[in-house]
Amino acid sequence: MATRLQFENSCDVGVFSKLTNAYCLVAIGGSENFYSAFESELADVIPVIKTSIAGTRIIGRLCAGNKKGLLVPHTTTDQELQHLRNSLPDQVVVQRIEEKLSALGNCIACNDHVALTHTDLDRETEEIIADVLGVEVFRQTIAGNILVGSYCSFSNWGGLVHSHTSIEDLDELSTLLQVPLVAGTINRGSDVIAAGMTVNDWTAFCGSDTTATELSVIESVFKLREAQPSAIVDEMRKSLIDSYV
Amino acid sequence: MPRKPTRHHRLLPVQPLTFSPFARSVARVATAYLVKHYLRDAPLKSAGDEFKEKLEKVDRQSESSEDEEFDGVVQADFAFFDPKPDDFHGVKTLLQSYLDNKQWDLSGFVDLILGQTTVGTVVKLEDDEDNAVFSVITALNLGRYKDHKCIAELKEFLLNISHEKDKIGNLRSLLGDKAQNVGLLVSQRVVNLPPELLPHLYDALFDEVSWATEDERKNANQKRPSTTDKDEALIYIKPEEEILHKLSMWSFLFPLQTQQVATHELKNYQLTGIVMAVKAENISSFQQQLHTLINES
Repeated sequence: MATRLQFENSCDVGVFSKLTNAYCLVAIGGSENFYSAFESELADVIPVIKTSIAGTRIIGRLCAGNKKGLLVPHTTTDQELQHLRNSLPDQVVVQRIEEKLSALGNCIACNDHVALTHTDLDRETEEIIADVLGVEVFRQTIAGNILVGSYCSFSNWGGLVHSHTSIEDLDELSTLLQVPLVAGTINRGSDVIAAGMTVNDWTAFCGSDTTATELSVIESVFKLREAQPSAIVDEMRKSLIDSYV
Repeated sequence: MPRKPTRHHRLLPVQPLTFSPFARSVARVATAYLVKHYLRDAPLKSAGDEFKEKLEKVDRQSESSEDEEFDGVVQADFAFFDPKPDDFHGVKTLLQSYLDNKQWDLSGFVDLILGQTTVGTVVKLEDDEDNAVFSVITALNLGRYKDHKCIAELKEFLLNISHEKDKIGNLRSLLGDKAQNVGLLVSQRVVNLPPELLPHLYDALFDEVSWATEDERKNANQKRPSTTDKDEALIYIKPEEEILHKLSMWSFLFPLQTQQVATHELKNYQLTGIVMAVKAENISSFQQQLHTLINES
């Protein structure tokens, strides 16, 4: 299910949080409402960890990760790194990387199998991503934007990209990522998808400006509505007959 | 060995100086005028009052690269538009810290402003694809919108921040039984908007208010929270506030929690908000004084 929330009057929840299938990072905010929204949804399933990165609250845009690992920029302090290593589950590898493009969340978009990266990323960084996150890495642009981490958001089930992405690009990306993609907006028409929302395999959090239409698109493309096992079986049957793009 | 970043088509060839919405807006303006070498006349979008001014805006130091000519001056064509639903994001960014750091229905408030197409002005560039909003000004009748959640929260905020006992009574009556006659003046802009625009903005607003209320111009008391600096002396961030403060019936100050970018000169000053109530009769005097102030400086 998708939840609407705000971080201190800002609808950019993807900036202040990072959600994966194994953990959730949340920025240290003015009010506890933000943290408790995540807690109430995720508490029994995965750890919700309050942290800062490089002393800032924009953690969602500075780090990139999936259930296997977390990559943080070189500006992360030692204490923050230690705190992350202590709080995250043991199977999650936390790695600080020396990369000039330090806003890793803006440069890398990934799920548990594939990652899309900024075209100017270092070769070594690409190797580290493939190694730590256990993904296949593709250098791509989205609707002409090189900040792929900002303009798209995808999970293991589906993805949402910048609204001006052409059909050909959508097809190409969908083939690379092996998930259905949809071009859309978040937070009442904003194209910066990843800033406005954060998603994993069973839940999503969106800014409170997100309209009902946008929310229903998100729930359908990320397959968030299905909670019953039978529903999953139905989906499999459908996919045998038809194919998604 | 550090790599030199390859030159991709950067969205902003001129980099913003600070991480804030108005710095980004300024960078966008500078960018727009690197690309456009001449200013095109386009059909004006709003049927109401519009005002074009060619202004020279002195640009701060730019991070220029080999292929960009930048003599430090940017030509900008500002135009006044009626508020439209498209302006939602721009106006919301400007009003982000309107009630300090209180969490309230800001989106609802912005919707109210944009819904009032007859009163209110939004300042944008001519033919700007980004649709960046540089300034918003409007007046909201507190009685008319009293049932809206955002107005109720705003009233609660104002009543909570005032610590002076005598003022609270005044404030309560203005917000309560006299609300029908009270207009909330909302005026926000990017810090470096040329001041030459201000007299025209305020003139346009008060004209629209009088047109909209037709024949009956009751004593519309105006009041708004705004930001100033205070220590021993008061430094007003917006020039028109000094004039309004002198003309106000009563006013009070309150401390602000939000962080503001502090310039070197203002290091010793503390950011303070001010709430003022101004009688409608004093508005023409205010307009005159504003004209004089801006034209002299």
